[in-house]
Amino acid sequence: MKRWMLFALTCLAISPAWSATPVRIGSKEFTESVILGEVARLAARQAGVDAEHKRELGGTTILWSALQHGDIDAYPEYTGTLTHELLKNVAPDADIPTLRTALKPLGIGITDSLGFDDSYAIGMRDDRAAQLGISRISDLLAHPDLRLGLSNEFMDRSDGWPGLRQHYDLPQTQVRGLDHALSYRALTSDAVDAIDLYSTDAEIPYDHLRTLDDDKHYFPHYEAVFLYRLSLAQSSPVFVKALQSLSGRISEDAIRQMNARVKLRGEKETVVAAGFLGVQPDSDGAGFWSRLLQRTLEHLRLVLVSLMAAVLLAVPLGIYASRARRLGHLVMAMTGVLQTIPSLAMFVFMIPLFGIGTWPAIAALFLYSLLPIVRNTYTGLVGIPPDLRESAAALGLPRGVRLRRVELPMALRSILAGIKTAAVINVGTATLGALIGAGGYGQPIVTGIRLDDIGLILEGAVPAALMALVVQGIFEGVEHWLTPRGMKLEARQ
Amino acid sequence: MQNASNAPSDAAFEVHRVSKRYGSIVALDDVSLSFPSGSTTALIGSSGSGKSTLLRLLLGLEWPDRGEVTVDGHVLENSQVLALRRRTGYVIQDGGLFPHLTALGNLALLPHHLGWSNERIRERAEALAALTHLPQNILERYPAELSGGQRQRVALMRGLMLNPDALLLDEPLGALDPNVRHELQDQLKSIFEQLGKTVIVVTHDVAEAAWLADRLVLMRSGKVVQDGRLEDLQQRPAHSFVTHFVQAQRTLQRPSA
Repeated sequence: MKRWMLFALTCLAISPAWSATPVRIGSKEFTESVILGEVARLAARQAGVDAEHKRELGGTTILWSALQHGDIDAYPEYTGTLTHELLKNVAPDADIPTLRTALKPLGIGITDSLGFDDSYAIGMRDDRAAQLGISRISDLLAHPDLRLGLSNEFMDRSDGWPGLRQHYDLPQTQVRGLDHALSYRALTSDAVDAIDLYSTDAEIPYDHLRTLDDDKHYFPHYEAVFLYRLSLAQSSPVFVKALQSLSGRISEDAIRQMNARVKLRGEKETVVAAGFLGVQPDSDGAGFWSRLLQRTLEHLRLVLVSLMAAVLLAVPLGIYASRARRLGHLVMAMTGVLQTIPSLAMFVFMIPLFGIGTWPAIAALFLYSLLPIVRNTYTGLVGIPPDLRESAAALGLPRGVRLRRVELPMALRSILAGIKTAAVINVGTATLGALIGAGGYGQPIVTGIRLDDIGLILEGAVPAALMALVVQGIFEGVEHWLTPRGMKLEARQ
Repeated sequence: MQNASNAPSDAAFEVHRVSKRYGSIVALDDVSLSFPSGSTTALIGSSGSGKSTLLRLLLGLEWPDRGEVTVDGHVLENSQVLALRRRTGYVIQDGGLFPHLTALGNLALLPHHLGWSNERIRERAEALAALTHLPQNILERYPAELSGGQRQRVALMRGLMLNPDALLLDEPLGALDPNVRHELQDQLKSIFEQLGKTVIVVTHDVAEAAWLADRLVLMRSGKVVQDGRLEDLQQRPAHSFVTHFVQAQRTLQRPSA
């Protein structure tokens, strides 16, 4: 029975490795990038190349390192990001041929501009801007009290807020980091006065926004391009050709329209991209239930594989900690430190080691699971009354036998409680795996946040909550079943 | 056999000038004692006098800071500790039974590890249940389902499973109410007499000590104050403390005796 379960779980863990690998296209976690990813996938299909699209893989860092590590073969990028963030030794205004030369040593190729420039801009509500008389970024100097809500990426990158502030000598101090998808809501609900946006964002006309004139020419050009691995020239030259054929075909107006159809009218990226290319959209195939089943399997795999690995390491660590107290405290301090790393950062840290997809997510969840299990194993063992510990020793049982037959059974309840805690936390944290391509219940949540679609968010959040409850219930059952009857009785006097 | 000093050669346990301290607390201070094979000795004294520590030294559960422990004529070393513990039954106050195992599970722990068959374990357990006046059905119960007296009996059975050469008991009846205690005192005495093992029992109760053992060793602050029979302690006290200790207990005992 146990062996059978182990076998099933192993299959669950390694099954994706069996399928053949088509060309893999990545996209960032905002709509335009996802649309471009779909356009590339459908163009590839049109050219007869089997391609898959890994959507919404988080931010630039994740995509860039995934491309370099070969976890994906291509993704849409912007020239400004290359010059300001990714390549250290090129001029800020480098043109595409210059970038092509700079990228070549990295084994990365670049298409010509797809036909539009999606540069950063600062946007305000039109009525508010009119009321304050603001039409240029320089006009912000006169209003130091304005509240800025900036996307987290914009806040941190050198070509974002720090540079802008310096360039214009901006006085604003009320600056909050926001998720880009939420910043429009913050703006329209008057929680902030100005946000950063992309010049092709669909909301600009829809929400009656004004983009401020970059009168001192701070923002660089963000020409849309595709980056791809040069090795594709051998392995799939047809795909590279299909990608290059997209150059110059997508105008600023076309992309703004596509953005609007997805974000504001709720059409699917596939449908919109297919409409643009003039091909039939391939259906998602999956209906609600089969989608749910697939995500459930993905999610379960993340949680179970990481949990089993954590149990295998954390229980021995906990035993060790209870024996060698001083080193034990060190072990616990280290697992404690792991716990303080913000979850998203932990997932990103795993990318250089494991690439993107399931394994880095499992590794991150594994590290998170260690502390509760180590701590509860330690507490359970240390909590055994000294006279019982001594009775076991006085019987003449060797250490190992004492541990297996006396100490671990007595600590079992506490150990199981630790595993339960880790499992329940894992179910929640695993939703972040979607940002690094691990799938699971996080996928609809990420998409839902991006599209501002509560229904889609619930499609991930509700099953995740249910799974947490079920996991909790199962573990309570297991706890009850495995706890020796004698441990549940109150002592008689 | 009643006096330790005249039979050092056939001593089962011997401590020679042992001292032991825990931080600033002196548990044993230069103590030398010999326990002849087959003898029954009671270590008495108030709590903190070092009598339990002494018992634990004999099993290698603690090691002396100074001095040495000799078992069957050999200085005790770490490598012999497991074998020694298997030849020696040890019973503590409250029994020290493992709550996750039934009475039989507790009894079976060591024999099982040594490869005894289940039938052999059960046979031995049933024989010991008869010796300690326990009904057979007790064997299937968990410690929490047993009374204090039953727990002590099971603990004694656990100590006797391998038919050891010696029995060390640390306040074995300390947690029992007086009626059960008297009954068990009688039974212990008859068991000691039937088995003829080397027995060392730690207690703070002089009457119990005198009932169970011929030889009493009175300890105070880690030192032996007097070593002899009850009459010696009563009639030839080595120190005013001896009289004090014996009298304090006797006045308490008199109404019920």
